[in-house]
Order: sequence, then C-alpha cells, then structure tokens
Amino acid sequence: MTENTEKPESSCDARRRILNIAVSTVLLETGFESSDRIALETLTEVIQCFFTEVGNSAKSYCELTGRTEPVLGDVMMALINMGISVQGIEQYAARPKRHVIQPPQQASVPRTPAMLSAGSKAKPPPHIPFHLPPLPDPHAYIRTPTHKQPVTEYEAIREKAASQKKDIERALTKFLAKTSETHNLFNTDDNQVYPLIACKPTFPPYLSCLLPTDQVFDFDELEYHFQVANRTEDLPADKKDQSDNEGDNGGDNENSSQPEIIDIPMSSPERLKSGG
Amino acid sequence: MKKERTGDNCRPFKLAHQILSLTGISFERRSVIGFVELTIVPLTDNLRYIRLNAKQCRIYRVCLNDQYEANFQYFDPFLDICQSDPNTRSLEVFSQYHLSAAQKIDPDHNSGELHIQVPDDAAHLVGEGRGLRIGIEFSLESPQGGMHFVVPEGEGTLTEKSAHMFTYGHSARLWFPCVDSFAEPCTWKLEFTVDEALTAVSCGEMLDVVYTPDHRRKTFHYVVNTPACAPNIAVAIGPFETYVDPHMNEVTHYCLPNLMQILKNTVRYLHEAFEFYEETLSTRYPYPCYKQVFVDETEDDSTAYTTMSILSTHLLHSIAIIDQTYISRKAMAQAVAEQFFGCFITMQNWSDLWLAKGIPEYLCGLYSKKCFGNNEYRYLVHQELQEVVAYEEQYGGMVLDPWQPPASGARVESKDVYYFPVRNVHTMSPRYVEVMRKKSHLVLRMLEQRIGQELLLQVFNKQLSLATNAANTKIGSGFWGQLLLSTNLFVKAIFTVTGKDMAVFVDQWVRTGGHAKFQLTSVFNRKRNTIELEIRQDSVHERGIRKYVGPLLVQLQELDGTFKHTLQIENTVVKADITCHSKSRRNKKKKIPLCTGEEVDMDLSAMDDSPVLWIRLDPEMSLLRSTVISQPDYQWQYQLRHERDVTAQSEAIDALHNYPEPATRKALTDTIENEQTYYKIRCRAAHCLTKVANAMISSWAGPPAMLTIFRKMFGSFAAPHIIKQNNFDNLQHYFLQKTIPVAMAGLRNIHGICPPEVVRFLLDLFKYNDNSKNHFSDNYYKAALVDALAATITPVISVLQPGAPITADSLSADTKLVLEEITRVLNLEKVLPCYKNTVTVSCLRAIRRLQQCGHLPSIPAVFRAYAQYGQYIDVRLAAFECLVDFVRVDGKPEDLSSLLTAVENDPDPGVRHGLARLLVSMPPFERAQRHRLDTEAVVHRLWNQINSQLSNDARLRCDLVDLYYTLYGLKRPICVPLPEIQAMMKQMHNKERERLERERERMERDREKRDRERELEAKPVIKQEIDEVSVKYEMDVAPMEPLPKPEVPRDDNLPIPIASIKEEDNVDVTTVPDLPVRVYSSDYSKREFVSDNAVPLPGMSGSLGPVGFEPGMFRHDKDDLGAPKAKKKKKDKKKHKHKHKHKHSNKDKSKEHKDKDKSLPPRPPSSTEHLKIKEETRETLSSFSSSQSPSEDIASMPSNMSF
Repeated sequence: MTENTEKPESSCDARRRILNIAVSTVLLETGFESSDRIALETLTEVIQCFFTEVGNSAKSYCELTGRTEPVLGDVMMALINMGISVQGIEQYAARPKRHVIQPPQQASVPRTPAMLSAGSKAKPPPHIPFHLPPLPDPHAYIRTPTHKQPVTEYEAIREKAASQKKDIERALTKFLAKTSETHNLFNTDDNQVYPLIACKPTFPPYLSCLLPTDQVFDFDELEYHFQVANRTEDLPADKKDQSDNEGDNGGDNENSSQPEIIDIPMSSPERLKSGG
Repeated sequence: MKKERTGDNCRPFKLAHQILSLTGISFERRSVIGFVELTIVPLTDNLRYIRLNAKQCRIYRVCLNDQYEANFQYFDPFLDICQSDPNTRSLEVFSQYHLSAAQKIDPDHNSGELHIQVPDDAAHLVGEGRGLRIGIEFSLESPQGGMHFVVPEGEGTLTEKSAHMFTYGHSARLWFPCVDSFAEPCTWKLEFTVDEALTAVSCGEMLDVVYTPDHRRKTFHYVVNTPACAPNIAVAIGPFETYVDPHMNEVTHYCLPNLMQILKNTVRYLHEAFEFYEETLSTRYPYPCYKQVFVDETEDDSTAYTTMSILSTHLLHSIAIIDQTYISRKAMAQAVAEQFFGCFITMQNWSDLWLAKGIPEYLCGLYSKKCFGNNEYRYLVHQELQEVVAYEEQYGGMVLDPWQPPASGARVESKDVYYFPVRNVHTMSPRYVEVMRKKSHLVLRMLEQRIGQELLLQVFNKQLSLATNAANTKIGSGFWGQLLLSTNLFVKAIFTVTGKDMAVFVDQWVRTGGHAKFQLTSVFNRKRNTIELEIRQDSVHERGIRKYVGPLLVQLQELDGTFKHTLQIENTVVKADITCHSKSRRNKKKKIPLCTGEEVDMDLSAMDDSPVLWIRLDPEMSLLRSTVISQPDYQWQYQLRHERDVTAQSEAIDALHNYPEPATRKALTDTIENEQTYYKIRCRAAHCLTKVANAMISSWAGPPAMLTIFRKMFGSFAAPHIIKQNNFDNLQHYFLQKTIPVAMAGLRNIHGICPPEVVRFLLDLFKYNDNSKNHFSDNYYKAALVDALAATITPVISVLQPGAPITADSLSADTKLVLEEITRVLNLEKVLPCYKNTVTVSCLRAIRRLQQCGHLPSIPAVFRAYAQYGQYIDVRLAAFECLVDFVRVDGKPEDLSSLLTAVENDPDPGVRHGLARLLVSMPPFERAQRHRLDTEAVVHRLWNQINSQLSNDARLRCDLVDLYYTLYGLKRPICVPLPEIQAMMKQMHNKERERLERERERMERDREKRDRERELEAKPVIKQEIDEVSVKYEMDVAPMEPLPKPEVPRDDNLPIPIASIKEEDNVDVTTVPDLPVRVYSSDYSKREFVSDNAVPLPGMSGSLGPVGFEPGMFRHDKDDLGAPKAKKKKKDKKKHKHKHKHKHSNKDKSKEHKDKDKSLPPRPPSSTEHLKIKEETRETLSSFSSSQSPSEDIASMPSNMSF
C-alpha cells in the first residue's frame, strides 16, 4: 500500500473488509464462535490470494480468446485449471440457512475538490449548440490569476488592521507588564487586570521624549513634502480642489488622496505597529 | 520735588568695564571659582565706600588696582527678612520688611550686599574721572539660584551624560560680584576655563579659545564691546553641538548632544524674525552676533541676554510635530525682540520695567501677526485683555509705573493694593510679572492706536539709533545713558517724533491702575427710528475697576451696513440716542454690507423690527476694559455668524452660553462647520455647544451634538463611522479633530452621565486611529483622545458597600473599557514613547479623574513615581498636579509635607517653580477653614522659607509668598495663636488644672451614669451618609443654649484654647479630654456645657436658633484618642456593644469633619445640596465612600447621588 494516494487505500480496505466479513460468515456457518484476529487475517489473506489468482487466470483465458472482458466460462476454466472442482458449487450457493452478507453501503464518492473556480462561467455564445458541454472557467482559456483577490471592502480592511494593531499592542504591553515591575491602581495585591508598567527614571530624561520612537518618520521625505506643501500654499485654488477631492473619495483609496507626493514606501511594518 | 533720582545717577561712580573670569568650574562639586575686575570711574573725589552686589558667593579678596587690599563687609538682609520682628507671621508685616530688604541692597539706591571700604593708603587712587580697578576673587558652591548645574545621575563620564550648566534669571549678583542694575551698562571681557570637551557660550564675540598649558582645559575669551548691564550677562557651559544658521552666519545655535537634527528644524525660521525686526524698526540688529543655547531644566522657555538667549531644550521639535512649533517659534522670536529692547536698550529704573517687557512683547506681537495671521493676533490680544481684566478684578488695579503719581488726575491708588511690594522686581509675584508683561503689551498697542503704528515704530527707531550712536562711544563721552529708557524719556521721545503729548495717556493707563468696565443696554425707539443706548459704569468702586472718562467707540451693525459712533463718556451713566441709518423694514432680497465691505445674505427672520443686527463696544480694544453687553439672543447669533472679527465672535460665543435653544445650537453648529471661520473660534464653538447641548438635554433630539459634524469631516467615505486615516495636512481640521472629541466627551444625558454612544464613539476613535500615512505625529491627537476619555467620566454610582474596597472587578463595564484603554496606551508609551510623552501626561490626569470620581481608590503611589526626578518634565508636572489635587482632597499632613519638600529641594528649578504655582492655583486647604492640613507646622515651614531659606531664589520666594497669601491671607494665620495669648492660656491651664482635677472625678461619675442612660435609650441616631452633614444637622437641631463669650478677638478664634479661657467662675466649664462626643440626643448633659452669655460662632452666623459653643469642640483628634478607647473597654461588658461601636466610629469621624467644616455657612441639611458642593470642590467620591462605615447608608447612597 502506498501512502501517497488515499483513495485506493480506502477502497482496498473496503474490499478487504468485505472479504473479512465473508470469511467470518463462513466460519460462523462452519460452527466457530470466535476466532483469533490473526487467524481471521490469515484466512482472509488466503482467500484474497485465491481470488487474485482466479482473477488473473480468468483474465488470461479471456484474452486468449481475443476478448477483453472475462465471462463466466473464463472463470470456470481458471478454476478447473487450478484443479478445483466446480461441482456442487451451485448447490453450495443455494444452501439453506446460509448467511447473507449485507451488500456493502455505497461509499459516498468523495467529492473531487472543485477546480479553482475563478470568475463566473460565461454562457456559451448562441452559435454553440446547447448540447455541448458548458464552457470551462474563464481562467482556463482567458487567464489564470496567480493570487487570491484581496478583500476590497474598506471597512473590513480597516477593521482588520485596527484589530491586528490592537492585538499586537495588547500582547506587547501585557508581556512587558508581566516581565517588569508594575504599579497597582488598586489596593489589592492582585494586579493582573490593569497593571501599569512602572516608570523608570532615565537620564537625561529629555532625550527619549524629544526624539520619540513611537513613529518612524523618514525626515528627508517629510522635508520634501514640507517644501512641496509650502509651495502649494501659493496656489490656493489647486490646494482647495485637492482637499475637496480628498473629502469625496474619502478613505477608499488612500494613496490617491495625496497626489502631491510620490509615496515613497516608508518602513511601513513599524509604522503600522506603532501608528496608533 | 528734588531732582529726579534715577537708577543710573544714584551711584557715586560709573562702571566702565568689567572682567569676569570663571576658572575652577567643577560639575562634581557644583562649584565655581572666579575673579572679577570692575573698572569704575568715580564721580567724586572722596569716594570711600563702594557698594556692589554679590550673593551666595564666598569672597576671598578685594583688591584695588592690584595693589591695595581693601576691607569689605558682607550683608544680605534676605537671609532673615523679618529680623527685627521674628515672631510675626503676618504677610502685611512681611511685605514691608521684604521691600525694605530689597531696597537695602538695591543698586539703584546705591546699595548692595558687598560694602568695600577704600583703604586710607589707597585714597589717592580715587579721583573724579580716574579709572579705579576693583579686583574681587570669589567662589561659589552649590548655588541655590542664578546658576544651575545639570548633572544627570547614572553611569558614564560627564560629557556622555550631557552634564552642563548655565545661568538663569536676571540676577547676576547670584554668580559674580557686580553692579546688578539694568541702569549700569559697561563693556565686558569674559573668560571661562572649562574642560577640553566642553564649550562655553557667553555674551559678546568670541575672540579666542586657548588651551591651558596642560592641554586638558581650554579658555574661551569673549568680549562685549557694546555696553551691557550685568543682569544681561549669562553663560552656558556644556558639551554643546554647534550649528551655524545657514541663512545668517552671525547666528549660531547650540544644543545638547544628539539633538542636532531637531535643532536644525526648530531654528529654520529664526532668520525671518531677524529680518522682520530689522525691517520694521529700520535698524540693524545692534550686536555683531547672536547665539541660542538650548539647555535642560530651565525655569522659563526663553531668557534673553546680551547677544545670546538661553532657551529650554524642550522647545526643540522635529518637523513632524505641529503644536510645539507655534510655541517654539514665538519663544525664539520673543527672545530676538528682547535683544533690541531689554538687552540693548534697558530700563533706567524698576519703574520702567513695563517698557522693557512691553516693547519686545509688542514687537513679537507684530511678528506673530505676520507669521500666524491677523486672527491669531487679535485673538491673542483679546485673550490677554481678558486675562489682565480678570487679574485686576481679583487682586486690584495694576499700576505699570507706580513710582511717579499721575500728574493730573487726583486718583491716587492706595499704596498697598497688593500683598507684595511692586516696587522691586525681586519682591513681585511671578504671576504679577507675567500679567504685567501682558498689560504692558496692551498699553503699547493702545499707544499704537493713538499715534499710529508707523510713528510708534519711528519712536523705537529713534531710541535705537540714539543708543547705537551712544554704544559706539567711550564711557568718557557720557552718552551711555542713552542706552536706558524710562517712561519719561519715552514720552519725550514720542513728543519729539510725533509732536503729540502722550502724558495724559501715560497718566491714565501707565501711572494709574485698573481698567474700565462698561455695561451696555439698548432699546429701539420705533417712532424716532433711533436706538437708545445706555452705558453704565456701575462697578467703579469694585476692585481693579476705575471710572473711565473719554471717547468710546460704539459700532452698530445695521441692515444697511456698519456704522461707528464715538460717544463721550463723562459720567458713570451715559445715555445716547443714535439714529439708525436703515429703515426697519425688511428688505429681504438685499445683501447686507459688513464692516469688511463684504456683502452677505442673512436670514433675517429672527429679528424684530429694529434694524440693528448687533452692537459692539470698543471693537478695536483701544481701552483696557471689560464689557457687559446686553442684547437679545438672536443678535448674538447674528454676531457669531456674520461678524468677521474674531474678538466679536469669541464674545458672542461667551454670551451664547446663556441661551440654550435651537437657534443657538444651529448658529454654533454652522460656525463649527464653516471653513472660513478661524479655527480657534470653531474649537470654542464646539466647547460652547457642549454646554448648550447639556442645558437643553431634555429637548435634544437626534444624535449627540457634533457627532454628525465629526463624521462628515473625518469619517471615511465608505464607512462614516470609521475615521479616516490621519492626515493633518489641513491644520484647521487637525485642531478640530483634536477638539471635537473632547467637547463631545463633555456631553451628559438626562441621567447626568456621558451618553454611551459617545463613549463608544471615542473608543472607536482609539481603535481606528491610523497614522501610518500621515506626515505629522499624532501624539497631541492621541493625548486629546485620552483627555476626552477622562472627560466622559462622571461620579461613580456604586452598588457596593460604601466601605468596601474598590477592586478591578467592581468597576462598571464602561469604566473597565476606559481603564483598559488608558492602561494600554500608558503602557505602550513605555516602549514607544511619543513626543514629550503627551499621552502619559493625559493618562495621569485621566487616572486622577477616575480617582476623583470614585472609580479607583485614591492612591497617590503612581503619581509619586511619575513625579520623581528623572522623568520628563511635563510628566513630572502633571504628576505633581495630580498629587496636589490628591493632597487637597484626601491628603495627610505627610503628603503635604512631601510636596513642600519638593518645592524646597527639587533639583530642577523649573519643577520647584511649577509646583509652587500649582499649589497656589490649587491650594491644599481653604483659608481659615480649620482644615486638617492647616497646621502650625506648615505656617512655620513656609514662613521659614520665605523669610530666610530662599534668600537666593527671589522667584521661588515670591511664589511661596503667593502661596502663603492664598493659604492665610494678609493677617496672622488663625492656626498660629499670638504668643501672648498662648502664654496666657498656659497660665490659665495651670490654674484650672487643679479645679478640673476635682471636677473630673465628678464628671466621670456623671458620664458613666449618662452612658448607661443613653444606652438604654439607644435611639437610632440620624445618620446621613456624609458625616459633615450629620454634624451640621445635629448642631442645628440641638437645643443648645448660649455660652460664655470667649475673650479673644474674633479673628483669632483659636483652635484649642478657647475652651479654657472661660471665666473662672463658670463652674460648669469642663475641658476634660475624655468627654463623650456630641450626639445631643438628650438634654441631659446640656446644662453643664452652657452658660447664659450668648455669642454665635464666627462662621455660624445666621443659623437657625442659637448655636452653642461646646467645650472640646475645637479639640484636635489627638485629644480624644484616649477617651473612646477607655470607654469602649467599659462598654465591652455591656450588651449593646456592637451598636455602640458603630455610633462611636461615626462620631469620631464627624468630629474630624467638624473641624474642617465649622466655619462654613450653615447649609440646609439636605444631602443632595451637599453633594453638589462636593462636586464643585471635586472631592474624591471614593474618599468619602470609603470613610463611612454605617451600613445603613447603603440604601440612601445611590438615591442621593441623583444622577
């Protein structure tokens, strides 16, 4: 049994299970009440080998006669050739009190995973007769998108960005609060719910405050923007138009709202994290 | 009148040149060794004593002409100001001594701390007009004022830690011997020998830097060729980084290490200020160079000295910071303006301080008008006017030049308007100096209106050119006096330039204090089509207000345009009929012309038949005045909507607070939305709308006020409930975006709490705040959001047991959300600090707010940690603010004491001053309320500080004088009895003691009996949840009889002793300490405490029924500590001991409260009334919710809150 395919394995299992049941039934009929698992397995194995041999042999006979599908005669021939008497087999099959094995449940056909459906199927044009199969997905004959289309809904994006940022911040602050000294806002000893990280004096105290690290700015870019902004001040009409547009297209497409600068991608990961 | 004695001619010598050399500058020991040499030119031949100023220096040697060692005496009256009256504790007395101390060493009175005696054998050196050199060797250790060493703690060398030092204030005597007068300019040679790694920045041009022979130190040589006076000399030494201004290479900037980048950004516009002043004054900058040094731990943002300014490093900011830019630019521009007036041209006397402060303020005002716009300028002037008016009404009229009485008008103010002397800058309250600056600015602006800006600038120009000429001469020419400016000289100069005599103006506004106050009412006379105005000056006798006589401009906006009418005000009541230009018919289609010439459409439906749209008084602010204009609401609304002047709009907003109605709401909403309106007006309109909305809450329909506006302006297009990503390119929107959430947070619904919708809205703002695409930092915005959250908090409605501790679980859901947000951003600041930690500052205030409202237990520990040295200055001050508030409400004497320790000893002078101001503005206890903190120890401690300890820090001393005044007033504090009375009382105590011993036995017996009886009665005592009320209640109800009049003056109703000064023959008197406390449920014991002479208690006048005096009433808690315990023991045996304990704990508390509450005017014993007061005083609800124990109160509590 190979590992890579799951389907054959399971169908093989199913057949084997049927064989198993058959063997058990015969055993029951014979009068056994129980059997060792290993004995049952051995018998099953024996019968499986037997059937395989019969099958192979029957197939050979059938091919010998120039057919592709074995018929009963081929099986007979195979059995006889194997030295097995076929007499009484009919009576055996019709014996009384025989146990009937329930036909195995139709295994639900595992659904073939739908093809990556992209786009909606186009209706066949009128010149194609209706009985022909429908057209495949457009990606099959137009183009195949190589990535998933991002969610474009503005609200969802903002929501996601906000909650991501919040989660990161919360995790970070919680971690720091757990690993450092804290202030307690309550009189209780337990300080798990709203711990405040204790403040430590730093010297000189002004450095971290005058050179803040909460946001990373590209100062050259700001300088550039600043000068451009100053220049546009001289052209109030333009500027006004711009800001009006800005109001209209709102946040839907943020990049287009700042047409006056070439948006140099700034070191955005940090900024995203710390933007709030 | 004798010949005018001025600051420059009172000394018998002139100062020609001074050498200052500081050599041994040690950061470790914070010490300086130095040498000065003053070259003086005696004006007489028989100069025997030379008086110089020197403080906190140790003087080793005084040498004349390097040859003759002179004897000297050192005398500083500030070391013990009230030396001749050591027991006084009254500010009245102190004030006199304070002034005389200041004058005893005032160089302008030819005095000083250092008296040098010219030895006989050196007498030949003295000759009129012959230079005499006085060399003085001195040292200075751990200076307490004037010079500050910043030596950060921690590892590393001094340079690595950015240790630096600088001088501050304008008291040169604190760091070198000199003539510490603004009226004695001379040329200078300055030398500073410093460590190799350090830079010394000082006044004048740097000549040379010379290494010492050992190559470990170097000497900076500076020379000041333009005469400068000693107070304008400064030095800063540290590991500075240097930046030469790219636009003007005469200008150099210095900053501490690592700050170069933001330094470059901060100073980028400084050259514009220079250009502006040079152009405006049409004078060259008077000095060859200019230096700006940014240092840490300064007292002020900027201080100007000759050719240099020492500025606070906290002015530095990067390009991404918005709010600080305005402050920094103004501070630097102000410092440059002071180079012209204040440094180059100085004042002749202290009386001319207003010119030295006012002219740069005026020039800087002109610059900010150019730089920030006319609206900003007018708004600033209006704010200043209001501030001056408010100060004068609180403290009395401010006379800018009090030395010379006004020539004509006989109105001479009584001399002691203030509780501090205003005749010397070392005794003035810092707040006074601040307001004086503003008033001077206003007066100069008024002068500009009288003579015209061009002419006024010409006057300045003339002064400057005279001074420039004089500065280029030698001392011998005698022209140096032209570097000084005085009120009289200024008036003369105006006359010379313009031909106008401004003496009357100066008399009216400079030499007389106070401002005018006009009340205007108007009636429209339909028949005659006139408007009848009545202008009254009713309150001329109130403090700070005086009668105005002269022209007054009234501006009427009518349907046909703006019309100005000048009325002559001659009396306190002036009536005028003004004929209207417009007919009252409504020509609806016609546009209405405004004062600016624009024509606008107006909706005139609100008007009645008067054609007047609105009335304004003195629209150009050409008087120092306050106005009360009565006009109907719709006129105010028109004024707000259509008047173009920001001052008018701002006045309209103030008035509209009183008209909560839909039309007002509409007018305010439109103003907020109007893009043409000045942004500060829009922000104020937002806050006003909050109040209006709260007042009309019962009829308010629709979403909370401003929510729609905010969403419209800042909501994103696709999802209006989500705010756009921040984009602060439009600064007006930026300021609105900061303001509206705070304004909205002030909204309350009918239950008195912030609508949940608003809270959610605010939390969403936090959540969706996204600054990733912004060009500016959002630190101020984030701080505003935290402020907004804090503003939503309302007093807690607790379902808890009142005494139960507040835990994290007991918070309400909303509070949890708020607190979670606050802790999150505060914690985040630890990892990612924002500019100036603005968020931390806001968070601290928010936490305090939560404590005040009883959501959190009132614990000061957090604030203490943030107030430590080593935190950022803004954070420290915010934490101190919270601590001051805590002390006021829940503080123990130790807490107050630790604050005072910080005021006295904090390493940062800015914090000392700032904290003192905080204490003044939020005093820890009210005057004469017998507050638990109002103890004798505090009096003595403060007194000791102002009387002697702060001899070297005039500003802090004056801060504490302010505090002393706030706490105790002018007279001797009530809690400090006069020593005579104390002695008398002691004697009486002794006499009485024996008698009392006898009585005590009897009393003991009595009491036991009484206790038993009371227990039997065991009536439920009326218990209110606030103890003070219950006390009041009981006192009012108690059928007490009057009692002996204490023999003490009423002012001095003393805490303990009154009880013991009763007449000897009053047998019933008892001062036995262990009396049962007052629950006067039975008459039983009354007679014992009471006699027949009646006198109401000082604070209790007007209460119902006779209010009695009970022995032991004024006792401190200490006294009755023993008694109840003893009693409890007894009671333990009894059955109802539980009940009793209860009663007692209640009583003990009521006693504590009683001390505090005694002199409050009696209030009706309704607890809601009381609660209102609670809110006003912003006491912590938790403080009293936890202080009460009786469980019966639970039920009454929520209903009392009545939210």
